[in-house]
Amino acid sequence: MKAYIQGTGCVSAQDSSIFPETIREYEGDRLPVADPDYKQWIDIKQIRRMGRVIKMGVAASHISLQDAGVKMPDAIIMGTAYGCLADTGVFLNKLVTQQEDMLTPTAFIQSTHNTVGGQIALLLGCHAYNNTFVHGAFSLENALQDSLLFLEEDTSRKVLAGAVEEITDYSHTILSRFGLYKNGVAAGEGASFFVLGAEKDEQSQAELTAVEMLYKPASKEETGSHIEKFLNRNGLQPSDIDLLITGRNGGDDSYYEAIEADLFATQPVAKFKHLCGEFPTAAAFALWMVTGILKKQQVPPAIMVKGNAPSKVKRILIWNHQNTTHHSLILVSAC
Amino acid sequence: MADLKAQIIQQLNLQEVKPEEIGNDQPLFKEGLGLDSIDALELIVLLQQHHGIRIANPEDGPNIFYSVRTMAEYITAEKSKTA
Repeated sequence: MKAYIQGTGCVSAQDSSIFPETIREYEGDRLPVADPDYKQWIDIKQIRRMGRVIKMGVAASHISLQDAGVKMPDAIIMGTAYGCLADTGVFLNKLVTQQEDMLTPTAFIQSTHNTVGGQIALLLGCHAYNNTFVHGAFSLENALQDSLLFLEEDTSRKVLAGAVEEITDYSHTILSRFGLYKNGVAAGEGASFFVLGAEKDEQSQAELTAVEMLYKPASKEETGSHIEKFLNRNGLQPSDIDLLITGRNGGDDSYYEAIEADLFATQPVAKFKHLCGEFPTAAAFALWMVTGILKKQQVPPAIMVKGNAPSKVKRILIWNHQNTTHHSLILVSAC
Repeated sequence: MADLKAQIIQQLNLQEVKPEEIGNDQPLFKEGLGLDSIDALELIVLLQQHHGIRIANPEDGPNIFYSVRTMAEYITAEKSKTA
């Protein structure tokens, strides 16, 4: 089953609407979102109860729906690894400092992982299927696979699919202690949403051809073999990929390099995490970027790692992994 | 009442509302500030946290939280009982 991406929306460290003409670059080990004026999408009375990650998700979802010309999706399916971290922190802090007494409802309401999907639905008045996948670095991929299954049941449906993540001071400190942000790896955050449909139409910007996950491969050889078989299952060889976009994050990228040298020796290779930072659902940013590349047939020079940016792009493979254990493969094609 | 307005703004995260923009007799719920049931819970917590007052009878809530003035009068009356 494949789907067509009919609208995209993104709130990230990059400007939401002008990619790929302008790319903002950051230094340091934290790439915060370039917050847009959320009041253009959210009523001032409602915005006061929304944490940053909720605002990001609501904004990105609205942009994607506007882009697709869809007012009411048939499902809202999203992924997040950490959920609403900031409000979880607020609520837990109050729980401790106030000795479990006089806890206010707002922080609690905002602290659950599915709050973002719920708020999107509330603002739209959407009573349709609403699911949030919380599967670490596979959260986006599970959301996309569920979206494909949902479209397979009824090809007339439109699905709003996406992913959100936020950095907080607490999470950044804790994850830094775990060694996630060292050797040039920068923490990231953001929200990306997509309107997916099973039928190709005039709104279609790119084809979401296939999504697969590979968990804890035993070796680089197994990973390489899996990538090759994934392409074969879609009637392709590695040489058919016009651009490989990897999840290089500036740390130890030798895993990517070894498999690239073996499978994609002659293919151009690009990266994206220097633009959005490292986070469990960062592949959603890559999918947003890739959709823009395929729609405009323009590859930003700033993302290229190896080879020349192709002048014509038919197929792009996004290969991202987290700690070499969670491998995500997203194949996207031009319409 | 200016302090109480500032406390309400902070507790309810009323962005872009200034204390002087809230009328003393302006209804807090529905029309006026347009607060809702979640805000009512936040205001109950505000009374407990900032003024040490627990509302004994929940049915008094609509009268107590009608406006800033009714809240201020209730706080004054409750504090005078314990003074």
